[in-house]
Amino acid sequence: MIEVEDISKTYARGEHDSVHALSAVSVRIAPGEFVVVRGASGSGKSTLLNILGCLDLPTTGSYRLDGENVARYSDRQLARVRNAKIGFIFQSFNLLPRTTALENVEIPMVYGRGLVERKKAMAALERVGLASRAGHFASELSGGEQQRVAVARALINSPALILADEPTGNLDLAAGSEVMRLLSDLHREGRTILLVTHDDAVAAYASREILLRDGHIISDHTRLTNLVEGGR
Amino acid sequence: MNTGQISLQAVRSLRRYRLRTSLMMLGILVGIASLAVLSSLGEATKRETMQRFKNMLGTFDAIIVRPGGGRTRGMPTLVNMPPTLRFDDAAAIATELPGIKAVAEVQNAFDIDVKYRDQSSSPAIFGVSPNWLALRSEEVADGAFFTPGQNTSLARVAVLGPDVRNRMFPGEDPIGKTIRIADVPFEVIGGLKSRGAGPAGASLDNVVLIPINTASRRLFNRDFLTMLIVQVKDPERGDEATAEVAALLRWRHHIQPPALDDFTITNPAATMARVTSAGSTLTKILTGVSIMALLIGGVVIMSLMSIAVSERRKEIGVRRSVGAAQVDVVLQFLLEAALVSVAGGIAGVMIGWGGVQLVARMQKLPPILVWEPFLAAILLSLAVGVVFGIYPAWRASRVDPIQALRS
Repeated sequence: MIEVEDISKTYARGEHDSVHALSAVSVRIAPGEFVVVRGASGSGKSTLLNILGCLDLPTTGSYRLDGENVARYSDRQLARVRNAKIGFIFQSFNLLPRTTALENVEIPMVYGRGLVERKKAMAALERVGLASRAGHFASELSGGEQQRVAVARALINSPALILADEPTGNLDLAAGSEVMRLLSDLHREGRTILLVTHDDAVAAYASREILLRDGHIISDHTRLTNLVEGGR
Repeated sequence: MNTGQISLQAVRSLRRYRLRTSLMMLGILVGIASLAVLSSLGEATKRETMQRFKNMLGTFDAIIVRPGGGRTRGMPTLVNMPPTLRFDDAAAIATELPGIKAVAEVQNAFDIDVKYRDQSSSPAIFGVSPNWLALRSEEVADGAFFTPGQNTSLARVAVLGPDVRNRMFPGEDPIGKTIRIADVPFEVIGGLKSRGAGPAGASLDNVVLIPINTASRRLFNRDFLTMLIVQVKDPERGDEATAEVAALLRWRHHIQPPALDDFTITNPAATMARVTSAGSTLTKILTGVSIMALLIGGVVIMSLMSIAVSERRKEIGVRRSVGAAQVDVVLQFLLEAALVSVAGGIAGVMIGWGGVQLVARMQKLPPILVWEPFLAAILLSLAVGVVFGIYPAWRASRVDPIQALRS
């Protein structure tokens, strides 16, 4: 599913200075895995997530996603990959304001190859239990409902990979566990999920944990082992 | 890239931000409305002016010779004109100058009473030569025009303009009836077709035509003319004909420059060209002002769209994350600018259309049906939208989705 080989990301800072956000990171994620990425802020996990989500390109190294080497793709090719293979879920929901829940869910179809099918968007909303709120504006929904709309949006093009960046960070416990329940359902259906979080309870849903520090992977193990060893 | 779907997204965005959309439309609306009003009024006025000149002259291939030097205001009459233009001048112009096709002699007077039974009126009385009708492309509506024979024999016959006819013979056939012009009896032998309004807006139909010789000997008792209408063979050579006529008249009248001419020649075709182009100069200035307004409208679109790009960074980030390429973002913002501008243009055209009809009514112009400026205005608004949409669209495409989504 994901084959990241020796990627690094360097940002220029000033004329002579530069920051190494990622250094020689290699990671393989098999289809159907549920992976949590953890690390302090500045550890490079956002950079990794952006590269994996095809929003950013590595400075060096190769990245194969679902068989495609995307590391040297053009803007248009990356856009197509994001559209067809990746579903994003953000901490701050990122729904379009003054736009109904249904229209928000439809947006990925606008940039896809197929038609914009209202029925399909409606089915996705039903899936997250918000069919009755389809005509409501994003601002009229609670945080939990907004995040569930975002999950429906992430699902609409049936992506191979779902990338969730602190999906429960802005939610209360009940709403957060509702969202996590949706994500683990998706996992059980065979989707690959990569999650960034600080929250232990959220991390507990994952079967594998990658820990980053200063742009390096310092540990990568299955959560089960971790639990058995009594780490947490 | 799904242009249809992206257009729909653009329309939705415009509907979402109604206030901003209205403001963006406003500048274009004002510019287009004024442009449409001005250009169609200009065009319509030009056409109307040409029509009125044509009404007055009949043809554009004639020049007019009047007695007296310098410009005289108003219509020349037997009362206010010096007796310098003679019948033999007319004959000389007709026979001696090869570029001249025909000459019509005219004696005219106002304030002469015309009576029929108890009806009294004072239309313009024109003594004219029998070739008048052909030379002016006028037509007789009923009855007949007088013949050269009737002119030679000093027949007391009259042809009435429609205004005179309607006023003095309501519901009555005037042919064969006798009217009295300054107490001289004349038999009505025909009626003219209507010629409408002249350049000053007054009716050209309040007229009675009688043979020139009859007018000269039996009515006015004057042997000089108030006007010669000289038809040239080649309308393109009107200025040369003017010079030839002037030279001939100077020779006949023994005028040596620097002595002043005792006649005045006008070339109505040239005058009309001057009048209509003067009208269009004003139109051009006002059109320039409207185009300025339109450009300001374009700048308003550009700045409001640029602000919108800053405010909609998150939206742009979301769209990019779900699969919009930079070109898709460019397309959407460009479409928004173009759509809002065209919508403003269409609204402007509708308001402008109303304005044109209103001004036409106030100016007593006939209903104006000039559509070309309106089509041009809509195309222009499209162009303005696209041109001024390029910069904000480019900026929108440069928004970094990673930063936009984090904020």
